[in-house]
Amino acid sequence: MSGAGFESLKALIVEDNAHMRALLRALLNSVGIKDVAEAAHGDGALRLLNERKSDLVLSDLAMKPMDGLEFTRQVRNSELSTNPFVPIIMITGHTEKHRVEAARDAGVTEFLAKPITAANLYARIAEIVERPRAFVRCENYFGPDRRRRAGEDYAGPWRRADDFQETEVR
Amino acid sequence: MTAAAKQAQFIAPDAYPQMMSKQDAARAMKTLRSSATAEKAQVAMEKAAPPMKVAILQYVCELEEAEGNLDLIFEKVHEIRGFAETAGLITTGRISEILGRYMDDMIRIGKPADAAIVALHVSAIAQAARAERDDIAMGEMVAGELAALVARRLTEALR
Repeated sequence: MSGAGFESLKALIVEDNAHMRALLRALLNSVGIKDVAEAAHGDGALRLLNERKSDLVLSDLAMKPMDGLEFTRQVRNSELSTNPFVPIIMITGHTEKHRVEAARDAGVTEFLAKPITAANLYARIAEIVERPRAFVRCENYFGPDRRRRAGEDYAGPWRRADDFQETEVR
Repeated sequence: MTAAAKQAQFIAPDAYPQMMSKQDAARAMKTLRSSATAEKAQVAMEKAAPPMKVAILQYVCELEEAEGNLDLIFEKVHEIRGFAETAGLITTGRISEILGRYMDDMIRIGKPADAAIVALHVSAIAQAARAERDDIAMGEMVAGELAALVARRLTEALR
């Protein structure tokens, strides 16, 4: 970190489609992020993250052998992770509610539905820049605070609505 | 373990390394909102469209060849759905979206997707992708009909 705006940032794109990687790289270049590394799946991305500092990650969801969800979990939770706080924008055509929730629970910072537009990608980056998220660490989750809406002020021990249910079971 | 011991730890943004300093953030926001950035991004999007269209036509061939292989069809539909609109193929993207959601819903309720429904959508995707001109009004009408058909079949499958 340091330098002027985006110019000094290092980004990592994790996407199995070469055309999409090229587009994302071009869109990052357009805001001044020139140092961009690419991986075609989660395994390669984890290796790259360990070899090279990254300030921002754009990741696809559906990839083989390691998908974007497992990649995100590894970044957030692995003892080997070099930056568990790195912002991760999950970019995917799978926009069904259960998949969005799975991404949120894996620890992504922002979710971006394909087809992507420059405006949508930049809006997610702006969120990260302007309103960095707090992180939460609890028994079964580490990642950005999953509560965004006003009024989500429940303060149970695990800060989740089902706290009491879990407490009773245990 | 007690509830207190398991209590969530809240880590405020200024308590962990940020992507950039607040000074740099102000400069970055100006860049994001500048017309120069919008123009560069527009050029990037326009440049990406032709190769993506070629890739989609290839996916469409693979989609047609995947006849009966629902896993492969789902995978290809997902790819097409993700790129079509970026490549300017609005109708193709719209129909792929309907088929993708239908197949996802059927997977979730644990029933096989109706082969006739899948074949109908695959045919419509192929026709839309190969059309010389994307007739969006006609595409919306076709997509509306397909979405209604899918909704009926899903309701039947849930009974």
